[in-house]
Amino acid sequence: MSYAARRRGNKLKKGVQFTVMVVGASGTGRTTFVNTLCESEVLTHKISDNADTAHVEEGIRIKPVTVELEEDGVRIALTIVDTPGFGDNIDNEFAFQEIVGYLERQYDDILAEESRIKRNRRFRDNRVHALLYFIAPTGHALREMDIELMRRLSPRVNVIPVIGKADSFTPSELKGFKKRVMEDIQHYSIPIYNFPYDIEEDDPDTVEDNSELRALLPFAIIGSEDEVELDGQLVRARIYPWGVVEVDNPKHSDFTKLRSALLNTHLTELKSLTDDVLYETYRTEKLSRNVNADTQDSSILPEELATQSVRLKEEQLRKEEEKLREIELKVQREINEKRQELLAKEESLRNLESRLAAQGSQADF
Amino acid sequence: MAAPVPSSDGIGIANLPNQKHKIVAKRGAHFTVMVVGESGLGKTTLINTLFATELCSPKAYHRRHLKQLDKMTEVEIIKAELEEKQFNVKLTVIDTPGFGDYVNNRDSWVPIIDFVDDQHEIYMRQEQQPQREDKSDLRVHACLFFIRPTGHTLKPLDIEVMKRLGTRVNLIPVVAKADTLTQNDLMVFKERIRDVIRLQGIRIYQPPVEADDPAGAEHARILTEAMPFSIIGSTEDVKTADGRVVKGREYLWGVAEVENENHCDFKKLRSLLIRTHMLDLISTTEELHYENYRQQQMETRKFGEPKVKKLDNPKFKEEEEALRKRFTEQVKAEEARFRQWEQHLIAERDRLNKDLETAHSAIKGLEAELDNLQVGYGRGSARR
Repeated sequence: MSYAARRRGNKLKKGVQFTVMVVGASGTGRTTFVNTLCESEVLTHKISDNADTAHVEEGIRIKPVTVELEEDGVRIALTIVDTPGFGDNIDNEFAFQEIVGYLERQYDDILAEESRIKRNRRFRDNRVHALLYFIAPTGHALREMDIELMRRLSPRVNVIPVIGKADSFTPSELKGFKKRVMEDIQHYSIPIYNFPYDIEEDDPDTVEDNSELRALLPFAIIGSEDEVELDGQLVRARIYPWGVVEVDNPKHSDFTKLRSALLNTHLTELKSLTDDVLYETYRTEKLSRNVNADTQDSSILPEELATQSVRLKEEQLRKEEEKLREIELKVQREINEKRQELLAKEESLRNLESRLAAQGSQADF
Repeated sequence: MAAPVPSSDGIGIANLPNQKHKIVAKRGAHFTVMVVGESGLGKTTLINTLFATELCSPKAYHRRHLKQLDKMTEVEIIKAELEEKQFNVKLTVIDTPGFGDYVNNRDSWVPIIDFVDDQHEIYMRQEQQPQREDKSDLRVHACLFFIRPTGHTLKPLDIEVMKRLGTRVNLIPVVAKADTLTQNDLMVFKERIRDVIRLQGIRIYQPPVEADDPAGAEHARILTEAMPFSIIGSTEDVKTADGRVVKGREYLWGVAEVENENHCDFKKLRSLLIRTHMLDLISTTEELHYENYRQQQMETRKFGEPKVKKLDNPKFKEEEEALRKRFTEQVKAEEARFRQWEQHLIAERDRLNKDLETAHSAIKGLEAELDNLQVGYGRGSARR
């Protein structure tokens, strides 16, 4: 049996483990995309029936779900980590920290496991290999929310930007939007995963594939769980009064290309980048942080900056200044006094000496 | 005395509406519309489509990096004069770029609400002036709130803003970019929004139903049932599959038409805003919202007193915090310096004390010697 076949046989038994996180505000097509990708209802759609709690801000939740897929003969144990509630609050600062915290916790688990004396053979590697970020289809450019998220998460995970609900764009609008998004990504130096290739080192096929995928960034996604009969065939599509949009038609959406890149051609690369580069960077940062941690001063809490304490501090300062000045004066005075005493004693000593000398000379008579 | 003869023509009171018509036709009207919503929902396109002219210019993308991370909602005023069949309207459009686009959108509605209130305030003060012929009136007659077509329901941010706007201005919610939703999804979405509006107590504009005008009442009923209006905006002419040239959006899979009632509610919105209810919008603003504002203000303020301005802008709180932090750090540094100074002084004092001690002991030693000498001498002299 050839080496490749043997390797494939091995994979067939265990299945490749791959974790993808999907992040995006609700209504950008996340749930539908995941269900379209896995061809089954993996995630349930948001239940918005309760109108009188619609104003309540729910926090972000992080929910991993595992599905078994088969792609091109390879079994994949795909874990999807959904993040419902992201971007839905009025203030979304907390959501960022939650996601970064989750990513770092997975790295911490691996770090702890590696350092054990007796390692667990069956340890589950939950590190996230790719993060699909759903950009809302505004048609203009990136918003602060998008820029901040990609910027903060790129150091910890491979971020792939995706445009959800891309059927709201005409072809020319889509082109313009994609161009401006990539311009913004470059302008703010956001290190997304952009299918890296090296013209000199890699073979021309790889270069061609990767540059083609890079040109498609951000992927324009249309998802649908409904099937429609078109030309006698059942296809996944969305029906509008003015036409039918096909999910798997590469002219309508980049869904097929993204799926094949994620689950087929670039799966290994994404995994190895996570293991070899992102994890190692985190490990180095964390271990060197522990060494220098003790001398760090804890940052000042905003509560301590209340006007009250500032005024108190001012008072304290003034009092201390006064005290110090008093001490200075006192010391000066003491010094002067002692000097006077010294001089007086010197004087008297000298007198005594002279008298002694005089008397001594007298005594000699 | 001759009894008044009821002539078949009447005395001419019925001619009053015609006289009014002439006066109004000559004077023209002025109309102020505000558009509120996150960026990219088609606000500019809708305004241009509604009034069939390019009132708002498309976004200047090459300068966007200056303002992308600004974190502030702005209020932009665009003025235009429209003329149709010799009747002219001074139109003002208020745009609110930056609303809802940031990570932290708390209080992002404050500039918008303040603007609406300020217009009432300005008009009120002008009315109280001795000379009040030339009043400039920017009171907002209609506010279009653009809802993102998520398909789920209203977001907490939407609810907060709509609640505040509904009590101050005629609020008309619209579902933006409705060509993203399939018919079924759209229906469910609208239903959910209506539920939320009802249960959260948000006041939206309802066209009045007159009992004595059945056609008008029917029209008003249709409009009310269709709210929130689903909108597709476009100023481009495209060709449909069956050869017509219409305003619409051309996709690879078909053409979504703006004026096709099966595709969106644009015609209904235009009718509400311009054709049938513009006057009602203007008069409710003047009679209802302005009077509400005036009443509120007069209950707490005396005639002629200026309005108390809240001086804390929440966006500046961050800068305040940063400054305070710096101040505290400087204070800490100073304290450290003082402490060092104190230590230094104490050390000096101790050193000097020690010197004094040694000098003292030297003196004592000498004194003791002196005493001994004296005693010895005294004995000596006493012996003589």
